[in-house]
Amino acid sequence: MPNPPALPEPPLERDPVIEVYKADIDRTLLRENLRRTPTERVQRLQEAVRTVRALQQARRVDR
Amino acid sequence: MPDPEVTDFGGVLALMARSGVECILIGGLAGAVHGSAHVTYDIDFCYRRTPENLERLASILAPHQPYLRGAPPGLPFEWSAATLQRGLNFTLSTTLGDIDLLGEVVGGGIYEEILPHTEVFLLFGSELRCVSLPMLIRMKRASGRAKDLDMLAGLEALLEERQARGDG
Repeated sequence: MPNPPALPEPPLERDPVIEVYKADIDRTLLRENLRRTPTERVQRLQEAVRTVRALQQARRVDR
Repeated sequence: MPDPEVTDFGGVLALMARSGVECILIGGLAGAVHGSAHVTYDIDFCYRRTPENLERLASILAPHQPYLRGAPPGLPFEWSAATLQRGLNFTLSTTLGDIDLLGEVVGGGIYEEILPHTEVFLLFGSELRCVSLPMLIRMKRASGRAKDLDMLAGLEALLEERQARGDG
């Protein structure tokens, strides 16, 4: 699949609100993901989504 | 009406990649392809609105029973190239899961405008075009949704991590 001529990406200006949110980002997760292939990243996301759905459907059984 | 519990990311990506449909992966799953740790539940594509591409898109999704997500059952919704031509952005439920098809994207524009800001990835054995990380950040910023702030911070941190590795 040929790539079209890439346009230069202008630098992003820092947004002070986003900077506040950025302080809470766990960068170890990002670094782990960067070591994976794109397919492995999607597969891990798929597993996470399945887990979230299963937890959302869980019901209490102790009463 | 299709209502799978979990969107089959690999199935949808492989279907789109192998079909020859001219589309660009955008949104949260594009972020995941780049390395984002944010959890997303649906798949967003920006598609090219040429007659040939609308026909191809309608054809490859038809077996997966596309229906308007959240709409009451029984509406006279016909999935076809003509329907795609009459509309622009579609949020669909299918037997493969939730798929959003966008003819135009806030902060990015139409397919031809986003195309120079894309990268081709090998995903599940096929090549698929994905929006670049800087353009994805611009789209998310332009959408201005409070719910995207956390994801946006993650994407910008990811871009910094890539740049630190010399891969920005």
